[in-house]
Amino acid sequence: MSIVPDADIIIVGAGPAGMACAIDLAAAGCRVIVLDMQPSPGGQIFRALEANMQARPGTDELLSALGPSYKAGLALLTRFRATPGIDYRPGTTVWDLRADGTVGWLKGDAAGYLRATHVVLANGAMERPAPFPGWTLPGVMTAGAVQTLLKAGRLKPKGRIVLAGTGPLIFLLADQLRRLGVRPALIARTDRARDKVAALRRLRPAGLPALLKGLGWLLRLRLAGVAMRTGISGLEAHGRSHIESARLTVAGKRIELPCDLLVVHDGIVPSTDLAHAAGLALAWRDDDASWQPVTTRDGQAEMAPGPALTAGPCRIRITGDARRIGGADAAIAHGRHAAGAILAELSRPAATPGAADRTGVDVERSLAARPFLDAAFPPGLAANLPDDATIVCRCEEITAGALRAAIRDGAREMNLVRGLLRCGMGACQGRSCAATLARLLAEANPDRPVSPAPFRARPPLRPLPLGALAGMIGLDPDLAQVESLDDKPEASAGDDAHV
Amino acid sequence: MFEPVGPAEATLTIYLDGRAIPARAGETVAACLLRAGITHFRTTPVSGAPRLPFCMIGHCFDCLIEIDGIGSRQACLSQVETGMRLRTQDGPARISGLELPGLDLQ
Repeated sequence: MSIVPDADIIIVGAGPAGMACAIDLAAAGCRVIVLDMQPSPGGQIFRALEANMQARPGTDELLSALGPSYKAGLALLTRFRATPGIDYRPGTTVWDLRADGTVGWLKGDAAGYLRATHVVLANGAMERPAPFPGWTLPGVMTAGAVQTLLKAGRLKPKGRIVLAGTGPLIFLLADQLRRLGVRPALIARTDRARDKVAALRRLRPAGLPALLKGLGWLLRLRLAGVAMRTGISGLEAHGRSHIESARLTVAGKRIELPCDLLVVHDGIVPSTDLAHAAGLALAWRDDDASWQPVTTRDGQAEMAPGPALTAGPCRIRITGDARRIGGADAAIAHGRHAAGAILAELSRPAATPGAADRTGVDVERSLAARPFLDAAFPPGLAANLPDDATIVCRCEEITAGALRAAIRDGAREMNLVRGLLRCGMGACQGRSCAATLARLLAEANPDRPVSPAPFRARPPLRPLPLGALAGMIGLDPDLAQVESLDDKPEASAGDDAHV
Repeated sequence: MFEPVGPAEATLTIYLDGRAIPARAGETVAACLLRAGITHFRTTPVSGAPRLPFCMIGHCFDCLIEIDGIGSRQACLSQVETGMRLRTQDGPARISGLELPGLDLQ
C-alpha cells in the first residue's frame, strides 16, 4: 500500500539547525514542512528576534544587552522567511513520531498526522535537570528560563539574585544582566580551577574563539565587581511558599544568602524525547549524565534494538543540539550537512554543488571547542545524586528516598519504578526525572549498565485535548503499522525491561 | 522578581481569577503573570505546594494553569489574547461542565 506523503521533508524545530536545514532543502526544490512549538522562528537562541528588531520602547537597551551574537541570527531568519517552498507552521507541538516518517501534530485545538519521506529532528536541547533541596520552590528558575523571559518577555530580574551552577550560559546571562544594570549577589560556580587545567589540555586552535569569549565575560563581570566563587557545593533553596534564602558550601564554609530569585544552570543536554518515542537508539553518557541519540555523522538515526512498530527503513535524521550539544554555529553547520545528505539520498542536486564536503568540514570545526568546554564545565549541581529528602520527580513529588526504597525492594528497571511510584508519569512525562532515576538504579546495581533509554514513551508525548483527538485530520498511521503481535516490542526475547 | 526592560506598553487585558491584568501583545501568559508579580500559577495535586515556571521552554510543565476553561495548559507556550480568562489551578485540572456522581475527577 502506498501512502501519498504530505511533504518531502518534515522538520521539527525552527532553531538554527532546523532553519538552516529547511533553507538548503527548499532551495534545492524540496517541499518542506517545518513544525515549531514556538510562535516565531529562531529556536531558544534567537527567540523572539524578529519581534525585538521592531522599534519599540526599550528595544535598543534590550538588543545591546543581548549582544551581537543574538542579532547575528537575523540573516538566517530572513533567509528562512524568504525561501519559497518552506511551509512554516508555528505554535505546533509534536505528540507522536514514527520511524516511517509519520508525525502527529497539534496546533491550537486542531490535530492530525502528517507523513514525509524524511523527518529531521531539530528539537534542540534542554537544561540538565539537577535536583537539589528546594528546587521546586517558586523563585527557583533555570538560567535558560531567565534568558527566555529577557528575550520573549522583555523582563529582567529584580531583587536579590543568586546565580548557581556551571557552564558558559551562566556567564553569558550574568553579562547580559550586567548590561541591564542587574547585579547578582553572587555567582556560585560548581566548576573548579582544576577543571580548567584539565580542559586546557583539550583545547584546539578552533576552540580559541570560545575561550576568548568566555574570558571576556569573566573580565567584564570582574570589572563590574560581581562576586564570584568557584568549587561551591551543597546548594539548597529555603523558603515557605517562595524562596527566601540559598545555602551553599564555599571553601569549606556553609553560607546562607537571602534570595528572591535563585537562577540555576548545570549545562545543557540533547532533548531526546521525540527520538526516544520514535524507537530510536540512545546512548548513555556517564561523564555527561545524559542520553544522546545514536546517529551517523550526517545525522541518520538508528533504531533501538528489538522489533519496530513500523516497517521499512528509519526515515529520521537528527541535527543540531538535539544530536550533539554545540551551540548555534554547530547547529547551522550540521543542519546544512544533514540537508546535503538527504538531497544525496533523494538524488537531487544541491543548490550549491560540493556543499556536502564543505558542510562536513564546518561541522568538525564548529564542534572543536566542545571537548574543552565539556572538561571545563562538567556537571556540577548534578554531580552527586540527591539525598533522600530531595524531590526527584517534580510532577509527582517523589523523593530520592522513596525511589531508593523501591529500588532496594527489587524494582530494578525504569518502567517498573514508574509503575510502582508514578515517577515519570506526571505532566512532564519524565523529562525532568528520567536521568536521575537511571543513575539511582545504577547506584544500587553497579553491576548492571545504566538504562539505555528513559521511560518507555507512548503517544501522546505532549498534552492532546480530547476535542483535537476526536477531530483528527490526515492519514491514519495504523494503516502503516506492523500488526502482528509477535512484532510488538513487548515480545522481544531476552528483554527483561518489560516486567 | 521581574520588571520590564523599558516602558511596559501594555495594550490588552487578560483576567486571572477575575482580576484584570495588563498584557503586551505577543507575550506568553507566563511572562505576563510573572511581570504582574503573581505568586503561583497552580498548586500541585500531590502536596498542594505552590509552583511558578521553572524552565520556560515547555519541558518542565510547572507553569500549568487553566486557560479559558481548559486546565493544565502550559503558560510558557501560550500567548496572551484579549479577554483571556485564567484560573489559578488548585491541584489537578478541572474538567469544566463534567459532573459524574461517584467519580472523583479532582
